[in-house]
Amino acid sequence: MRKYDYVVVGNSAAAINACDAIRSLDPDGSLALFGEEKRRCYSRPLISYLVMGTVDEKGMYYRPPDYYRRRKIDFHAGSKVEAVDPERRCLETSDGERYKWRRLLLATGFRPFMPPVEGLEEAMYLTFVSWDDARTMLRLTSRPLRSLVMGAGLIGMKAAEALHSRGCEVVVVERMDRVLPLALDETASEMVAARCRESGIEILTGRSVSRVAARGGYRGTAVLDDGAELDFDLLVVAVGVRPRTELAEVAGLRCEGGIVVDEHQRTSEPDVYAAGDAVVAYDLVRGEPTVNALWPVAALQGKYAGLNMAGKEAPYPGGNSMNAVEFFGLPVLSAGVVNPPDASYEVLIRRGEDGDYRKAVIRGDVLVGMLVAGKIERAGILTSLIQERANVRRIKGFLLEEGFGHIHFPRSMREERIVEAVAGLAKQEREARQERERRRR
Amino acid sequence: MKRIIPREEYCIGCRLCEIHCIVQHSKSRNIIKAFKKERRPAKRVEVEEHGHVSFALQCRHCEEAPCITACLSGAMQRDGVSGVVVHDSQRCVGCWTCILVCPYGAVRRDGEGKKVVGKCDLCPDLEVPACVANCPNEALVLVEE
Ligand SMILES: Cc1cc2nc3c(=O)[nH]c(=O)nc-3n(C[C@H](O)[C@H](O)[C@H](O)COP(=O)(O)OP(=O)(O)OC[C@H]3O[C@@H](n4cnc5c(N)ncnc54)[C@H](O)[C@@H]3O)c2cc1C
Repeated sequence: MRKYDYVVVGNSAAAINACDAIRSLDPDGSLALFGEEKRRCYSRPLISYLVMGTVDEKGMYYRPPDYYRRRKIDFHAGSKVEAVDPERRCLETSDGERYKWRRLLLATGFRPFMPPVEGLEEAMYLTFVSWDDARTMLRLTSRPLRSLVMGAGLIGMKAAEALHSRGCEVVVVERMDRVLPLALDETASEMVAARCRESGIEILTGRSVSRVAARGGYRGTAVLDDGAELDFDLLVVAVGVRPRTELAEVAGLRCEGGIVVDEHQRTSEPDVYAAGDAVVAYDLVRGEPTVNALWPVAALQGKYAGLNMAGKEAPYPGGNSMNAVEFFGLPVLSAGVVNPPDASYEVLIRRGEDGDYRKAVIRGDVLVGMLVAGKIERAGILTSLIQERANVRRIKGFLLEEGFGHIHFPRSMREERIVEAVAGLAKQEREARQERERRRR
Repeated sequence: MKRIIPREEYCIGCRLCEIHCIVQHSKSRNIIKAFKKERRPAKRVEVEEHGHVSFALQCRHCEEAPCITACLSGAMQRDGVSGVVVHDSQRCVGCWTCILVCPYGAVRRDGEGKKVVGKCDLCPDLEVPACVANCPNEALVLVEE
């Protein structure tokens, strides 16, 4: 039985960033990667761009074609890991092949959540989570269709946008009272919904699909909770995602709404690590383990899992819920708490004349959330303040100003971030200057 | 690698760095054409100003660069040789995730409608980056490790 120093299960954000991190510390250890999908790693969030034609097939790949070879990764393409035995440190693929490992990473990602809707199981639909789904959507929409999207979360809205670009009629049905209810606040949801409606997408909020009747192929009729009937040629189900934990569960790893990991991305079994959308990991703002099913968070966890697997003591700094979206020319960025649950949060709001909108959420002098719509430039400064849990008492009044920046920070904080952060260069410069002065004397 | 350090005690807030940055990243690299005739690229350096204090800031080329980890498409990467955080506009889809995570606000949307970001590339064709070379008061200092 072949034995690898490192085995990675999954082939997406978390997996690839783990491989990069492993290789940054251990250039030669044997490394294998198992991916159920046959393709080289691609950027999953780009599937809507592929449908819309703003990205071509080549642009989908996250890494260059020779990536696995250059990184010396045995890429088992199209190979699903069926079982993992942490005790004997081996795994088995669906083809019955078996391998041993010294350190294992589960980066198995998410799966779409299937709502218990009558008739859905018998119907044909897309969940719009993979390159294959994008291909199917492209094929089916070679003629404009009447389409129905269940769910106005990120994936549902991206699917709606993609279908719209293909000339389809699009109706989005959302159970909550607004679009993107997790990523955005009420005002920004309204702004996005207005743009979508202006562009011809119909959005029905506060409604849900209670029954689906299949009518052959992808066609069918949906009955809403208010009794309304909607005929469709194509149905997209996008009502949420869940951590994909089946492999972890078979392996007997502790799972609580996701694979449980410690601050080194280690699971409950020795030498078994986990990262990405499959995992509940520390959230900086909430201060507790959370599933943040987001690409940057998955990538960061993967990176830290990889560093730790390769022997470095590298605690995961923590993730944060954050979103960057743009629909029909309106960009919106958000991070942290954008919908404060109670009155203990202070909310600052600023509306520009040109329709842009900014919001900061503060709790106990700490910035815990931000949202900007329209003018998004430099919003990352706010995100970084959230992540640093910085005290913003003295700069509160400037946070939402157009020219907000480091200029408003106390000087010491600014120097620390800008000058000293540049790898102790200030010190080097000082030493060089002293050296020059010494010589002059 | 090359790094640029701002010195607020010398900055006079003239914004010549911004102008020369734009020129350097324009098609013709000619100041009149860049501002009058061509599509004007985004500036990759930003003068922050408040009261009498000002300084210019561009990408810090962070050791642990959040933009690289966060980039959805793989367009933001570290150049293995120079260590510079480079942005491949061909692969950029304009998702703005880098703008969302850059602690320095050093990445901006580039051009109207063109869904690509721009950031400091340390002027690879120049010995000294344009902003540093054209600062009249040495408020931007180039250091090399
Ligand atoms: C349409 C769409 C748009 C999105 N847009 C954004 C966005 O704008 N911003 C953002 O931050 N996030 C976005 N996301 C979310 C983002 O794609 C995910 O957070 C990210 O892909 C998670 O990465 P991951 O590595 O955890 O796992 P995944 O991307 O879920 O990949 C897991 C991989 O593991 C494989 N796998 C699982 N089990 C096994 C097994 N047993 N054996 C072998 N292989 C296995 C799967 O086949 C899959 O390829 C979007 C998602 C979708 C679908």
